[in-house]
Amino acid sequence: MKRYALRFFSVGLPVALAALFFVTSPAFAYVNDALSFAYEAANPYAQQGWLIREDAWGGDLGAGDKKAVTAQLFRGNRYMFFLATDVETASLRVNIYDSEGKLAESKSWQRGRFAFAEVRPRATGTYYAIVEVLSSPEERTGWALVYGFRQ
Amino acid sequence: MLETIAVRFSVFLFPFLAASICVAAPKPPQQIDLSQFPADTIENVVVPVPSEIFAVLDKLGNPNWRTELGPKNTYAATADRAQIALLLGTVIADGFVAVEAEDSERVKEIGRNVLTLAEAINVRKSVVSRSNSIIEKADRREWNAVRREFDGALHDVNQAMVELNDGQLAQLVSLGGWLRGTEALTSIVQQKYSRDRAELLYQPLLLDYFSQQLAEMGSRLRRYRLVGEVEEAVGRMGPLIKKSSSNDITPETVAEINAITAKMVQRIRAKAG
Repeated sequence: MKRYALRFFSVGLPVALAALFFVTSPAFAYVNDALSFAYEAANPYAQQGWLIREDAWGGDLGAGDKKAVTAQLFRGNRYMFFLATDVETASLRVNIYDSEGKLAESKSWQRGRFAFAEVRPRATGTYYAIVEVLSSPEERTGWALVYGFRQ
Repeated sequence: MLETIAVRFSVFLFPFLAASICVAAPKPPQQIDLSQFPADTIENVVVPVPSEIFAVLDKLGNPNWRTELGPKNTYAATADRAQIALLLGTVIADGFVAVEAEDSERVKEIGRNVLTLAEAINVRKSVVSRSNSIIEKADRREWNAVRREFDGALHDVNQAMVELNDGQLAQLVSLGGWLRGTEALTSIVQQKYSRDRAELLYQPLLLDYFSQQLAEMGSRLRRYRLVGEVEEAVGRMGPLIKKSSSNDITPETVAEINAITAKMVQRIRAKAG
């Protein structure tokens, strides 16, 4: 599975968020759309001072499938993960676990095609964002995950 | 009166409206078995941007960043593409140090140096606007904005290289930045050791990631001696970090990592100064 370095231009986002999905093949178009929605979810947080990373992860999953995304997080920062899909009626979730598999997030929630999780790491190290498609009318559901951080 | 009622009503109503559009996700398990995720279900790592580390350091006091700036040097491009990529990473990391030291003249020089080195590996176009922005914002002493531009410069360079099918060279830019950043970080931790500061060095995931990237590097880049030397340096750091847990990285370990990274940065910069 590849990590997609993605780039997206959005009217409401600061220039720092601008990223263009370099994989232009139509096969990845749904991931590109999912990314647009992920940045849309992140936008209000960027306006509140969260720094949203330009790098992102993306792919597609079947209903009930999960994917683990690894990240190095630092104690002292707050992190917010934004997950989105291009499939309007799909339901996803993202949860953050530490390197021992313990739930690490302080909160997580869903809103339509979006899912969020916030974590204040108790220790610096490796964390896993578990991305899951709970239900979807499509066989494969495109998803994209971005994250932001702040002190 | 009506307005007051409306305000009270809306305050009362808001949580219910919010709940209708934003719902808690189904309760996740408190514990999962990470071994249920084989390699093909685990995504690649996104290397943290230096700002993530600096944000934490800001909270832990005011280190003396000026002492970390090092001698004023502009690095010229050499014929060795691997060296230029590593060098570019170190120069971008220097930019972060100069931002922390709030040295606008140095930041501007570094911004220009980034451009020179980027040109040598055909990615100048992708960093021109960043470089200009760095210079403008450094003039205005907008340090947070300059930090974000350096984060972005690293990203743009990597992206441009990937687009040029030079993804492995892009890894060397990241590595150069990480090595110089780690050198500066270990030096800052040594200035005033605390477990909280040393914990920032606990990055086993990144060490594994960089080791893997170096091991998979193609023969085209492997013929450069520096690449082998970086691989060896990263290989020596792995056990030092992994023998510790996040909250017990000792002053001795910090010193060892500092020595390894300082030597490596010096090697990268040799002949380019």
